[in-house]
Amino acid sequence: MIRRCASYAVLVAGLIPLLLPFYWMALTSLKPKREVFTAVPQWWPAHPAWDNYRSAWVAEPFAGFFFNSIVVTASIVALQLALASLAAFALSRFEFRGRSLIFWIIVAALIVPVQITFIANFMTLAHLGLLNTYAALVAPYAASAFGTFLLRQAFAAVPRQLEDAARLDGCSGLAFLWHVLLPLSRPTVLAFALVAVVTHWNDYFWPLIVTNNNAVRTLPIGLGMFVGQEVTTDWNLLMAASIFVSAPMLLLFFLMQRYFVQSQLRTGIRG
Amino acid sequence: MTSARPYLYLAPTLAVLAAFTYFPLARLAELSLHAPGIGTSLGPWIGFSAYSTLFANPLFWRVAGQTLLYVFASVPIAMAVALALALLLDQPLRGVGVFRVLYYTPVVMPTVAVAALALWMFNANGGIIDYLLHAIGIGPVPWLVDGAWALPTLMIVAVWKNVGYYMIIYLAGLQSLPRAVLDAARLDGARPIARFFTITLPLLRPTTFFLAVVALIGSFQVFDFVNLMTQGGPSNATNVLVYFAYQNGFEYVQLGMAAAISLVMFAMVLMILGALAWAFNR
Repeated sequence: MIRRCASYAVLVAGLIPLLLPFYWMALTSLKPKREVFTAVPQWWPAHPAWDNYRSAWVAEPFAGFFFNSIVVTASIVALQLALASLAAFALSRFEFRGRSLIFWIIVAALIVPVQITFIANFMTLAHLGLLNTYAALVAPYAASAFGTFLLRQAFAAVPRQLEDAARLDGCSGLAFLWHVLLPLSRPTVLAFALVAVVTHWNDYFWPLIVTNNNAVRTLPIGLGMFVGQEVTTDWNLLMAASIFVSAPMLLLFFLMQRYFVQSQLRTGIRG
Repeated sequence: MTSARPYLYLAPTLAVLAAFTYFPLARLAELSLHAPGIGTSLGPWIGFSAYSTLFANPLFWRVAGQTLLYVFASVPIAMAVALALALLLDQPLRGVGVFRVLYYTPVVMPTVAVAALALWMFNANGGIIDYLLHAIGIGPVPWLVDGAWALPTLMIVAVWKNVGYYMIIYLAGLQSLPRAVLDAARLDGARPIARFFTITLPLLRPTTFFLAVVALIGSFQVFDFVNLMTQGGPSNATNVLVYFAYQNGFEYVQLGMAAAISLVMFAMVLMILGALAWAFNR
């Protein structure tokens, strides 16, 4: 009983540093300018300025950035799912020469992040004349080592007998992947897709390297430019912009939180 | 019999990884060994002189040291906090699911939004953190304006952002432990703290190893908070390797030097991962 109370006390105390920033962000976003800097902080917006959101939205071409983020994130996740499914299918259901070598080549890519290779990748894309295009934003992420690994684990768990039965029914090859393996692996596929959506929606580093034109810039870059301009002045507008850039991911997370947690449980790291 | 099909299915993934992960490593080496050319072409071969210039630059050693400090201070702290949270959240408490979700929330936030929020909260002019600390008689702390405080401030922000991710991984590890062993220890009357150090922690070793690898690789990549909150300053106090390579490549247009920095950093990551694997498999 005492232990239970103590656990609750610690967990609730931990929520203060965890949630206070979110509250402060929402609160600031609703304050009129004269209430942002006060000697004693105002803990409740006396006159909520919803108009801040509109002002922030038009301060930069955020509508265009939003569109670009959707196009880029959707393209990356669709390609990753397609390529990872095919690769995981090969690695989990076929016997062939070099299988484990290829598996390790794919997994080893996890220790070479774009933060190491960016100079070379930038030069490759510049050489191809692809800077400031959707292609440059998407191409390096078209394959996912992590996704291939996760799907391979899921596909390998589908029993052999099922494959034989499906073959007798005339369902083999890609039809087996599409009609049997993927539906049976739905939780893993969904969990991976969600993590990929969040990762690429939030990505700041790579778009910063390959874009310098509003026509293709994504939301994090737009917000980053806003940070550069607004610092020390309009914190209320900056917080409003931060909220509408984050909101889609927060919404997705709260609606699908079960799958986010599952994605971690499925990485095959059990002791 | 081996058919061509599995190779066909693997080809797109391997092609992308070859083009954007493995080929670039060779390309970085090539760039670092040549003088700058015009546009994207290479200049004449200069051997290892980019590396000797780099190693003779005191700023490089400072940046490398700061990166290691950032990694080896923030990762263990975040892992310890995450483990403590995971132990609390592994209990059959009412509402435990809500706590798990709340503690994970910062993980899905864009780094840019977190950086904007942190700039505001840690601001010397009107920042809420200094106000709250003042209420309990501390401060004001020169968070981002003082060289001694700026890197720790970035670490605080990173720990806040990452701890939920580490927590979930530890929780997954805890939930896969053999219940029978834990129950037996409890029936033997072992005290909770003794039980944790003699049974739970050793059983969690694979999880700790996996998490340490993921966290190290992730922390070495720190760039977003630096670029958005301090631009490496004040006077290079928060300059880290990825930012240093970025500066050399895009601000000073020294692509060969930037490539050398990236490869040196990659070598450091590999050595640390090797040491970690050795330490954990002993």
